[in-house]
Amino acid sequence: MSNRSGSNRPEWLQQYDLIGKIGEGTYGLVFLAKIKSNRSKSIAIKKFKQSKDGDGVSPTAIREIMLLREISHENVVKLVNVHINHIDMSLYLAFDYAEHDLYEIIRHHRDKVNQAINQYTVKSILWQLLNGLNYLHSNWIMHRDLKPSNILVMGDGEEQGVVKIADFGLARIYQAPLKPLSDNGVVVTIWYRAPELLLGAKHYTSAVDMWAVGCIFAELLTLKPLFQGQEVKATPNPFQLDQLDKIFKVLGHPTVDKWPTLAHLPHWQSDQQHIQGHKYDSPGLYSVVHLPPKNSAYDLLSKMLEYDPRKRLTAAQALDHEYFRMEPLPGRNALVPPQPGEKIVNYPTRPVDTNTDFEGTTSLQPAQQQASGNQMSGGMAGAHIMGTRNVPRPVHMVGGMQRMQQQQNMAAYNLASQAAAGMSGGAAMNPGNIPMQRGVAAQPHQQQQQQQQQLRRKDGMGMPGYPQQKSRRF
Amino acid sequence: MDPDATFTLPSLLCEEDDSSLDHQVKIKVSQPRSDDDQYIRSLIERETQSNDSSCVICDDESTKNWFKCARLDAVNWIFSTREIWGFHFRTAYLSLTYFDRFNSRRVIDDGKEWAIELLGIACLSLAAKMEEQIVPSLSHFKAQGYIFESSVIQRMELMVLTTLEWKMCGITPFAYLHHFFSKISDECDCNEVLVSKAIGFVLDFSKEVNLMDHRPSVVAIAAVLLACDDQLTRNTLECKIGVVSSLYSLEKECIYNCYILLKELETKKNNTPDLNSFDLLRNNWSKSSNIGIKRKLTYNGFEQKCPVQKISRRL
Repeated sequence: MSNRSGSNRPEWLQQYDLIGKIGEGTYGLVFLAKIKSNRSKSIAIKKFKQSKDGDGVSPTAIREIMLLREISHENVVKLVNVHINHIDMSLYLAFDYAEHDLYEIIRHHRDKVNQAINQYTVKSILWQLLNGLNYLHSNWIMHRDLKPSNILVMGDGEEQGVVKIADFGLARIYQAPLKPLSDNGVVVTIWYRAPELLLGAKHYTSAVDMWAVGCIFAELLTLKPLFQGQEVKATPNPFQLDQLDKIFKVLGHPTVDKWPTLAHLPHWQSDQQHIQGHKYDSPGLYSVVHLPPKNSAYDLLSKMLEYDPRKRLTAAQALDHEYFRMEPLPGRNALVPPQPGEKIVNYPTRPVDTNTDFEGTTSLQPAQQQASGNQMSGGMAGAHIMGTRNVPRPVHMVGGMQRMQQQQNMAAYNLASQAAAGMSGGAAMNPGNIPMQRGVAAQPHQQQQQQQQQLRRKDGMGMPGYPQQKSRRF
Repeated sequence: MDPDATFTLPSLLCEEDDSSLDHQVKIKVSQPRSDDDQYIRSLIERETQSNDSSCVICDDESTKNWFKCARLDAVNWIFSTREIWGFHFRTAYLSLTYFDRFNSRRVIDDGKEWAIELLGIACLSLAAKMEEQIVPSLSHFKAQGYIFESSVIQRMELMVLTTLEWKMCGITPFAYLHHFFSKISDECDCNEVLVSKAIGFVLDFSKEVNLMDHRPSVVAIAAVLLACDDQLTRNTLECKIGVVSSLYSLEKECIYNCYILLKELETKKNNTPDLNSFDLLRNNWSKSSNIGIKRKLTYNGFEQKCPVQKISRRL
């Protein structure tokens, strides 16, 4: 596919060599591409599914782009570019590519190497995840959909082993009104959902993200989802009794004593029989995660899994926990422990479906697996990854690429040159050729610098840096 | 909502439902939490980050007048469509900020009313996508004089998004009203009528003034002050805002000028005999309900909302 780059391709597309498809979800497709000018640089390109005819630009896309434009942090995925295909008005987001994610890392340990993730890696991943989350929360952004497949880890390169929080489709600024979580056909897995949400809370806070981090922490330790409830599939937002049941079995029954606002939660009030009536045996979180109760990891975990969202640890508090001050100390490269001689796990690279082009259509080229290291063959189709072998898509002999070659007037919207590029895209975007002059942009570069400074400053506040930094880690 | 709920900023929480809409506004001022102060400060700080400034691209008088009229038409369309769909006021206001920011960066030629109308539709649709739980499909946005296909509106949406560099998270004065009322209300009896008054001032302001010329927080505090007392002098005004710590970063001069501007707009309006839609709207707020639709101010945003099921009948 990469060698099919025609000279008359749209300008923005010409800067990339498309490798293939690496993911597919309700939002659309994700592709792997290389930047031609810098072949060592890989880019993940997320193509938003066309919104329903007549709905215009999808609200999810607007929110995600808007939030990603405002944030900049080492532990948050970086949006490099937004491209618009003006022919069909589809949107493409270009991100720095991350080779791994926690879903695959956990799976690799569980199914392939059959061995726990080493403590240094668990701690480093958790610390960086909290560091990114603390940044988001201090900028009043809630993620709302944290789960292992949304936590990326960078592969080989300068940023190797750096954790990146991704997928902001459901994220939002605190004060904005919320749509029900199941909206837009987006189904959020319930395993990481906080108890206040499961009990039907109308108001909730950034503490929902911390609950998810707690669940992910436990999963990193045990390689199994902590609360694997059976999801009730119905709309909108059905009561997830089984999920609560799984939680109560491990953490014990919540009480109004310990969680005073519990009494006001709709499902707690309405479902006397199942929720209030059922008595659960003594809690046994430590036996599930195989940690002694006095262990600092256990202490941190139990504070993230606090029932009362007001008492639940915040990201900033968690970063301060003694767990992170004890050996092994967390580091920037979560995948490679600093101690020489420690075993380094080679995680498989993402499977790439090289038969799919940017339009999502499949050609009849023979499959080529982008293989490296101990690449696993087949069976990689996780919740968010579409493996090479099962691509149930129509085959278009002359489809996608040919059509794309005609699309010359795609305008790149380069974030680096902000307004200027936005303007240059104007001609192509002009609906119905409205004659418009170019206005004077308000000093985009200066503005961007200011913004970055502000963000950097915010980032600096209360952001402790890696605890007890030791130069060998960097 | 608990009828005894104290007056804290609900913005720190996410709300999933509209149940609060059915309750009368009841303002009971309590000590705002320090969290609120912090949040308000962060909002004010974020305003400065999006330091778009309006720039007059054209100094031809007739073009200016043409644009002013076209803008007014767009404003009126936005506000009447807001009412039909039961959107929040902040949604309408937000769409106007998009509108003004767009026009500070691009110029729409004289006589292209249809382009202004199309822009108004795209801005309202985008604002609704940012703020509302239920967003009608594009074909439901009926323009006054033209019929636009959905794909044309979508193109315009994209044009607005790129022109505004995807910075769609606009802050409106409505985000501040609660907080500011709670801060200066120990000296002034804060009630529903005053809140409605302040909302009315903000809306009248948005109709007449390029929103890029004034910071949302400044408009909000000026409207709150004017609602409480329309006889403030520069000194008494400074005295009042001196107690609001979250306002320290704002220039007193700007607040005073905005206060005077709002006051002038009101005087001008009161001297104009024909009631426009804004006056009608405002009259509706103070009588708590009429024409069979619950029109109540909600706590969470001070805004009225028509039940959604009314929509089909009204269209």
